Amino acid sequence: MAIRQKFPKLDRAWRKIATGYCFVLFGVCAIILSATLFPLLRLISRDAEAGRVRIQEAMRFVMAVFIGMMRVVGVISYELHGLERLNLVGRERGTLIVANHPSLIDVVFLVSLMREVDCIVKEALWRNPFLRWPVLWAGYIPNRSAEELVESCARNLHAGRSLLVFPEGTRTVPGQPLTMRRGAAQIALASRADILPITISCEPLMLAKTQAWHQAPHGPGHFVISVGEPIPASVYAPVGVAHSLAARAITRRMEEYFASSLKVLAGATPVATVQPALGSDPLGLTEDPSELEDAELSSP
Amino acid sequence: MQTREEVFEQLKGLLGELFEIKPERVVPGAHLFKDLDIDSIDAIDLMMHLKELTGKKIQPETFKHVRTVQDVVDAVASLMTEESTK
Repeated sequence: MAIRQKFPKLDRAWRKIATGYCFVLFGVCAIILSATLFPLLRLISRDAEAGRVRIQEAMRFVMAVFIGMMRVVGVISYELHGLERLNLVGRERGTLIVANHPSLIDVVFLVSLMREVDCIVKEALWRNPFLRWPVLWAGYIPNRSAEELVESCARNLHAGRSLLVFPEGTRTVPGQPLTMRRGAAQIALASRADILPITISCEPLMLAKTQAWHQAPHGPGHFVISVGEPIPASVYAPVGVAHSLAARAITRRMEEYFASSLKVLAGATPVATVQPALGSDPLGLTEDPSELEDAELSSP
Repeated sequence: MQTREEVFEQLKGLLGELFEIKPERVVPGAHLFKDLDIDSIDAIDLMMHLKELTGKKIQPETFKHVRTVQDVVDAVASLMTEESTK
């Protein structure tokens, strides 16, 4: 836009203010809605399950409004690809949605795109006097012991509820390679749910792990959100492979998938030549084992 | 009746088979989580395989205080000693 180019400093100052405003607004709205809309939705519902559906849909709506607002004030811009793959409600089995995590508002984006989705919520939120109730009524899952977590997630997935997980467990550290933890893979193995990868790129990067909220980038954060193809358990977890090895292999393959799909989104590599590898030969069974060993020796 | 060394060797093999951990990394002082990247879910897997290996039921409480490879060896060895004195 012409204004941004003519007055870059002013534009950046505006976005710093606007980001701060969005932060405050988010917090205030969270408290107000926790005291009004969410309890109301729970009350008018005949049981917890009906309440959960209503509240998850309300979450989607609120997040969508918030994303729209951030766009209007010029803090973000975005493009969305593959959204048709997110029609997941009403299926017999839930889908395990995995995404990379470059920015603080990734969750806001993704929840705004799905009618009903479970999220894993950290302990801190469960202890917050306002937010603990909506989080409970929304049927979100507490991040407690690894074993309990995997069990709860698998149970919900079996019941047809989809789950959003960020395998990195935290925001990506800019400049460092993607490191994913095995939690998502463990949930996949326990539930044998389809894995649906969503790649999020944010350029210029905003609200990343090493950035403070007031460090606005040189332009609005442009998000590209690309929903990949679902991968069934028969592909990522062939029968006969030891559980712990499978968890490690799936995690490695997810890291490779996201690294290459991020490259695609950044336009660095033409789509035709990069094949995100999660779907084909996920355990590298056709790779030469001696090559794999060399690779492991050379990695830090 | 197995010696600690035998338990150690068997554990080394198990860690390689279950978690792709190279034998040279398996030293008595190696911390399961920090050095060998064995998380709590892996630990459950390990306990199940140790149970098969030793033929003894491993109580979850035994593993609560296990932190290093040496701790595992000690826990398994003490279980075996228990059995043989009964």
